[in-house]
Amino acid sequence: MDFVPHDKDTINEMLNTIGVKSFDELYQDIPKDLQLDKLNLPEGLSEPDILRELETLSQKNSLYSSSFLGAGCYYHYIPSLVDFVISRSEFYTSYTPYQAEVSQGILQASFEYQSIITRITQMEVANASMYDGSTALAEAVIMATYITGKKKVLLMEGIHPEYVEVVKTYCWGHDILHEIVSDDTFLSKLSDDVAAILFQSPNFFGEIADVSEMVKKIREKSPKCLIIQSMTDPTCLGILKPPGETDIDIFIAEGQSFGISPSLGGPGLGIFTAKKKYLRKMPGRLIGKTKEINGEKEGFILTLQAREQHIRREKAISNICTNQSLCSLAALIFLVSLGKTGLRELAIQNFQKATHVKQKLEDIPEFSILNKKPTYNEFLVKCPNIDDFLNQCKQADLLPPLKISNYFPEMKDIALVCVTEMNSSTDIKKFVRTALISSQSKNWRD
Amino acid sequence: MNSNIKLIFEKGNEHPIRNYIPKMDVESVEINEILPINLQRKDLPLPDIAEVEIVRHYLKLSQKNYGIDTGIYPLGSCTMKYNPKINEVIVRLPGFSRIHPLQEDKQGALELIFQLSKMLEEITGMHGFTFQPAAGAQGELTGLLIIKKYFEGHGLKKDKIIIPDSSHGTNPASAKMAGFSIIELKSNKEGEIPLDHLEFAMQEGDVAGIMLTNPNTLGLFERQITEITRIVHEKEGLCYYDGANLNPMLGICRPGDMGFDIVHLNLHKTFATPHGGGGPGSGPVGVKQELVAYLPEPCIVSKDNFFSFRDYSEKSIGRMKCFWGNFGVLVKAHAYINALGAEGLRRAGQSAVLNANYLRILLKEKYYLPYDRMCQHEFVLSDKNLPNEITTEDIAKRILDYGLHAPTIYFPLIVSGAMMIEPTETESKASLDKFVEVLIKIHEEAENNPEIVKNAPLNTLVKRLDAVLAARKPILHD
Repeated sequence: MDFVPHDKDTINEMLNTIGVKSFDELYQDIPKDLQLDKLNLPEGLSEPDILRELETLSQKNSLYSSSFLGAGCYYHYIPSLVDFVISRSEFYTSYTPYQAEVSQGILQASFEYQSIITRITQMEVANASMYDGSTALAEAVIMATYITGKKKVLLMEGIHPEYVEVVKTYCWGHDILHEIVSDDTFLSKLSDDVAAILFQSPNFFGEIADVSEMVKKIREKSPKCLIIQSMTDPTCLGILKPPGETDIDIFIAEGQSFGISPSLGGPGLGIFTAKKKYLRKMPGRLIGKTKEINGEKEGFILTLQAREQHIRREKAISNICTNQSLCSLAALIFLVSLGKTGLRELAIQNFQKATHVKQKLEDIPEFSILNKKPTYNEFLVKCPNIDDFLNQCKQADLLPPLKISNYFPEMKDIALVCVTEMNSSTDIKKFVRTALISSQSKNWRD
Repeated sequence: MNSNIKLIFEKGNEHPIRNYIPKMDVESVEINEILPINLQRKDLPLPDIAEVEIVRHYLKLSQKNYGIDTGIYPLGSCTMKYNPKINEVIVRLPGFSRIHPLQEDKQGALELIFQLSKMLEEITGMHGFTFQPAAGAQGELTGLLIIKKYFEGHGLKKDKIIIPDSSHGTNPASAKMAGFSIIELKSNKEGEIPLDHLEFAMQEGDVAGIMLTNPNTLGLFERQITEITRIVHEKEGLCYYDGANLNPMLGICRPGDMGFDIVHLNLHKTFATPHGGGGPGSGPVGVKQELVAYLPEPCIVSKDNFFSFRDYSEKSIGRMKCFWGNFGVLVKAHAYINALGAEGLRRAGQSAVLNANYLRILLKEKYYLPYDRMCQHEFVLSDKNLPNEITTEDIAKRILDYGLHAPTIYFPLIVSGAMMIEPTETESKASLDKFVEVLIKIHEEAENNPEIVKNAPLNTLVKRLDAVLAARKPILHD
């Protein structure tokens, strides 16, 4: 295919205007020995050929009738109007709205996104987006070290293991020390040199912390330590107490659950929120409302850019430039579509369906649920014959849950099960039956 | 107050909308039995809005936005080229859009990433790629962390990076995030790296390397590029290529052959994936053989046409992002490269240079062109000689009045009142002629009717907005 609109005559006419005879002369500054004859790539393809080739490739990935896998990427229903809106090419073929007067559409949408995120989180300010949850958490750590002037952070157990890896990489870059702490040890580790403590709730194992209680304890021990919460499936905020009501300093989340397809885990959406007093240390773009200089009309504009790399260069808080704007638009449309009633019912249904599956699995001999705290749509189940169970799921056309030893080798025979509103009663029956069969086949084999 | 703005939150009513929630079809217990009341929220401040209201609201907003599909979008260094529609179809194939990052059976996805890596290796002259970085800036950070790890491993204390004063702002910001301090190198009269200054800066032995964009942000090819990389290598430094400006090099010239060790690409620029109003992008990083072991995990390898991950590398810098990077963007870039093929990529690069030089020649008649020589994909005009105290911003805003998009302005910083123009290869001659006509007309207005330019834009939905007010009293949500 070819997307260059010139024919040969036009090219010659243009070369003539420039005052050269050939393309070669346009490249006169490039040393001859650096110039290529030809790339070693195949010939171009037409649209039907491309489609056929990539369709074939896509079919080499397995699709399942229903999924019981989450662990940071979730299957929730995406209303049809989400794709309708993000497919408007005035949105998706535009770029960062440097020229505000002809970008009021995306600017207002981003302002509405920031607004809806502050509404559901009750945090005081939200930025226009980060790459994803993991990098948002890493940048929150850096922000905390800028605010406090300290270079050490504590990470509570239960943060998504890949997020922990990303935080470690960023910490190493910035010479920030980090330490993993547990429910039992975190209070004793809160020394004066700690910039921030990070935790995830619901955590990687599905458990919901009593955040208010935890924050109170941390504040008593170390009033200046920043508290950072992360979350991988914020649909739970439909019913869960929002972070803004628990005195959290920085709250970040992965927003993929809000209307973004799983797509091998990317692109997703980094939701980033904080208390207002930290606004000027926040990374990422911010959209603000303002007025015309010589008029009465209101409009939207990129603001507080003095924090950003294109103005501050090496003194900037972060190097982020391109963000996940179109994904934030998808999240906005998702949340607006579901609305008050829908988001609440979605969260409740996730709670209820997961609880239902928990109870059914608990009835199976040798299966046991390991969580002691309340859980949202994910939980840990001990299943002695795990490989057989996961294989049987595939046979039954179900995307199996996560074998947790993939991340934590010491946690053997444990699956992290995810149940959402997308799992119908038929899917659930099939899943429970598969579990039952695998437990029996083990008995039989023993 | 009767505002001209209507936010979505003003819509909605008391009628509950349940359109997007499946029917509850299993027996369930009351939520209060699962979740203690003290962990629940009391209020969820969202409206319930009928679908038609939502669709109309956002359709109207889309009509208040300018995209490439609207017209020329000559933002310098952003490479706003046409985004082929077929790619939007392909990325939505269920075998791509519905796959989970942690599912086992994903050979098609791994093969796609592997193939994309091979194609980009050929295009850039590199030997291995990571696709984790979500955008160019994250690619830069990845590349710089590779440099850091490389010297740590070799027991060398090299904590400075050379960056020219014409560089993108992300370069110094990324270097800082990787723990480097920055030596800024002043460009010479020709807009290029002065070799004697470079040699001097490299002498100390504590310089880890150089970050360069080539063609640079003036749109000029560094003619001494092989000398530059030789000088840096001689002092055991590494050379980093900022791929933001790779477009004109497609099929013509490769960073690997210029002597670069590390390169990041912006798939949303060079490889035609949509900019999405500011993202998502993708910033894959390619390296020479010696540095492959330093790439972030996981790295894909192929054996007998089966795709898996290499063994954990002690040298790897670790993970940059959860899961696999922006896979959806990779799918589109893969489709684009296959659609164009070797010939098409070269034609794209050539036409990008043709279009930029065509505009350069026609616009330098009226506007001051500080570096007057053959450019690559873009060129930079300055505000020198603008009549009647007209500023670059005035010109940019007046362009909007004529229904076109403005160039990048006030960048690079080394040109006074810079106007950085990158038309890309997908603009037709007619579109370029129209752009020239408008800019010449604006220059006439600047001379004869300056007030109209100073007060621009006049025809847009809102007039020039107050950035100072926005920053002084930030209103960031409703």
